[in-house]
Amino acid sequence: LVVEPETTEVHDEPRSVFPAATTPRRPGQLGRSSTVPAIVVAAVVGVLFFLGYRFYSSYLADRVYALDPAFVTPAHQFSDGVDFVPTNKHVVFGHHFTSVAGAAPIVGPAIAVFWGWGPALAWIVLGTIFAAGVHDFGSLAVSLRHRAKNIGTIAQDVISNRARTLFLLIIFFLLTLVNAVFAIVIASLFVANPGAVIPIVVEIPLAIFIGQYIYKTRSAALVPSLVGVVGLYLLIWVGQQFPVDIAPVAEAIGMTANTLWIILLFAYTFVASRIPVWMLLQPRDYINSHQLFIALGVIALGMLVGWSTIVAPVVNDVPADSPSIFPFLFITIACGAISGFHSLVSSGTTAKQIDKETDARYVGYMGAIGEGSLATGAVLATTAGVVATRAEWDGLYPDFGTAGGGAVGNFVNGVGAFANNIGVPLDLAVIFAAVVVISFAATTMDTGVRLQRYIVQEIAELAGWQKLARNLTLASLIAVAVPLALALLPGGYTFSKLWLLFGTTNQLTAGLALSVVAVWVTRMKRNPIPAIVPLVFLLAMTTWALIRQLLDFVEAGEWFLAPLDLVIFVLAMWLIVEAALALRGSAGRHTHDEMGSPVDSGPVDSGSGEPSRR
Amino acid sequence: VTLRVVLVRPWTDSHGGSGCCSGESRDGICFEGRVDGPHEHDAEVGLVSQAYLRLRADLPDADVQLVSANNSAYLLPSVFRTVRRKRGLLAALRETNRATTAGAVLVDGERVGDVTTLGADGVVAEVRRRAEQLPQ
Repeated sequence: LVVEPETTEVHDEPRSVFPAATTPRRPGQLGRSSTVPAIVVAAVVGVLFFLGYRFYSSYLADRVYALDPAFVTPAHQFSDGVDFVPTNKHVVFGHHFTSVAGAAPIVGPAIAVFWGWGPALAWIVLGTIFAAGVHDFGSLAVSLRHRAKNIGTIAQDVISNRARTLFLLIIFFLLTLVNAVFAIVIASLFVANPGAVIPIVVEIPLAIFIGQYIYKTRSAALVPSLVGVVGLYLLIWVGQQFPVDIAPVAEAIGMTANTLWIILLFAYTFVASRIPVWMLLQPRDYINSHQLFIALGVIALGMLVGWSTIVAPVVNDVPADSPSIFPFLFITIACGAISGFHSLVSSGTTAKQIDKETDARYVGYMGAIGEGSLATGAVLATTAGVVATRAEWDGLYPDFGTAGGGAVGNFVNGVGAFANNIGVPLDLAVIFAAVVVISFAATTMDTGVRLQRYIVQEIAELAGWQKLARNLTLASLIAVAVPLALALLPGGYTFSKLWLLFGTTNQLTAGLALSVVAVWVTRMKRNPIPAIVPLVFLLAMTTWALIRQLLDFVEAGEWFLAPLDLVIFVLAMWLIVEAALALRGSAGRHTHDEMGSPVDSGPVDSGSGEPSRR
Repeated sequence: VTLRVVLVRPWTDSHGGSGCCSGESRDGICFEGRVDGPHEHDAEVGLVSQAYLRLRADLPDADVQLVSANNSAYLLPSVFRTVRRKRGLLAALRETNRATTAGAVLVDGERVGDVTTLGADGVVAEVRRRAEQLPQ
C-alpha cells in the first residue's frame, strides 16, 4: 500500500487507491486540525437535515409548489395497475431512495475533503437543503402537473423544442463521463486490491443464478438474496487467498493492467446492457441494496463504538497550485449536494406512483436528504475513519491529484476502519468496503451503459437516423465505444480531471431541471426565487469552472480534454440562453384556469393545459 | 378497521439500476414509455394489473398497494411490525421472508396466496373473505 501521486496518465500506471498513511505533514500546511467526534458531526448534520425537511420543504410545498391534496395525480388519472399506480408514500420512497443512492455521492466528497471537512460538509448540507431538495422535490412536483412525463419531455413542453435536444446532449456527455470515470475507479480498485476480483466477478453469475432461482421456483426473494450477500462476503475470504493479478497477461499483450481491466469492463457492460433487466440488474441491485444498509449501519455503529474523531483540518491550507474552492468544490461534489440525475428518477417511475400530490414533499425532499446523508458518511469516513492523526491525513491529501486518485481508496479504508471498530479484522474489513464500493460502481456502469444506449437511440430518432435508432447492437456499440475511448485515449488526463468534467455535466443537468421548475413556478404566479437562486449559483460555478479548466487544458496541451470542455461549455451557454429566454417569456404569462388554479401544462408559447382536481 | 392489501409485483416487472447517475433503467430519457419492457412475460404483469384494478374497484375501503419484491425499505419493516404485533417474533420473521415472493398477495402482512394461482377473481374473493372476518 503506497502513495502514488496522480501525475501520470490513468491508463499508463496502476495508481494505488489504498495509499498508506505514512507521509508526514508538509511544512506550511497549517490548516487547523479538529478533534470533533465524528458521531457528533453526524448528529448535527442530522438535526440540520431535519430542520430543512420540517421547515423549508414545508415552505416549498405550501408557497412555491402549492401542493394540493385534492389534485388528481397521474397515478389516479391513468391508473393501469402496472406503471401508473397510486402508492403509499413509504413504498414510493423505498423505490425512489434505492434508485438514487449509489457510488457517486461517495467519490465526490472523498475528494473534496482536500479543502477541509468544513467546506465539504457545508456544501453538502446547504446544497442538500437549498438546492437538491428544491430540485428533486420540484422535478417531482412539475412532473405530477404534467401527466408524469419525464423531465426531458417537460423541458420541451415548458421551455422549447430545443431544450429537449439540449437535455439529451447534456445527458449523453454526463453518461459518457460517468461510465469512463467508474471504469477507471473499478480498474484501479482491482489493480490495487486483487483480492476483490473474485468476489466481484463471481457476484455476476451468482446474481443471475439467484434471480433465476427466485423466478423459476417462485420462492421468497429475501433469504436467497441474503444468502447471496453472505456468499459474497465468503468470497472475500476466497479472494484474499487467491488474489487475481492480470498484470502479467496485460504485459504479454502490451498494455497495462488498468487498460486491460477497463477493456474487460466495457466488454462486460456491452453484454450486460443487452440482458433483460430482471435477469441480472434486478437481483444484483437487490443484493446491493442489502449491502447499502449494511454499510450505512457499519459506518454509524463503527463511529459510535470507536468514538472516532475527525483528524482532518476544518479548512485545509492547500498548496498554491491547487484548484480553488470557488468554483471547484461545487463541481467536485455534485451527487451528495445536488445531482441532476435525480430529476430523471423523480420524473420517471416515481411520479407515476404518487398517490397524493402532498406526498411529493416526503418522497422528493427526503430522497435528497438520503443522498446527502450518504455523502456525509463519505466525508466522515475520509476524515475520521481512514487515519488516526493529522500527519497521516496530510499524507493522504498532499495535493489535489493525489486526493483524487486516492479518494475511493480512502473511503474504503475509512469504512474498513469503522468495521474494524466493531470487531471485523482490518484486512477483511477493508476488502468488505472495497466490495461494497465496486459493487455499486459496477451497477452504475451496467445501468449507465444501458441508459447511454437509450440516449443514442433517442438522438438517432430525433435526427431521423431510423436504422441506428432501431439497431440495438449498433446503439450499444456506440454506447460502449465512446466512454471506452475517453477512458483509454492518450491525453495526459487524470481521474480528478475527468471527475471535475463529470461534475460540471451533472450540475448542468440539474440546471436544466431547475430551469424547468423555475419557469413552471413563475408561470403559476408563485415565488420562483427558491429555484432561481440554486440555478444561478450552479450555472455560475459550472461556467466558471469550465473556463478555468479550458484555460488549464490549453496551457497543458491536453488536446482531447480541451475540445470536450469547450463542447460542454457551449452546452452550458446554450442552457443559460434557453433558461433566460424561458424565464423572461414566462414572467408575463401568468395563466389561471376557471377554478382559480394555475394552468398546469403546456409550452410557454401556447399556455394550454388540462388541470384536473378530485 | 382498514384492510391492508399488498400485491407483490412479478419478478419480471423489473425495476433495475440503483445508484446516483444511473437510477431507474426501464424508461426512456426524453421519450415516453418503457424501452426494455419484459415483453415475453407481459401475461403475468397483466394478471397482477387486473387483480389490482379489480381490488380497487370492488373494495374501495381497502388500502391496496403494488410493491416490488426488492423494495426492502418498505416491505420488510411494515410486514414485520404488523405480524409481530399479532403473532410474535418467529411468525413475523417467517412472514417477512414470505412477503418478498414475487406475485404474492398479502393481507395485513400475511401471505394469503399467489396472483398466478388465484387469478384476478380469486384474489378479490380471498381478500373479500378476509375483509368479512374483520371486526366491524
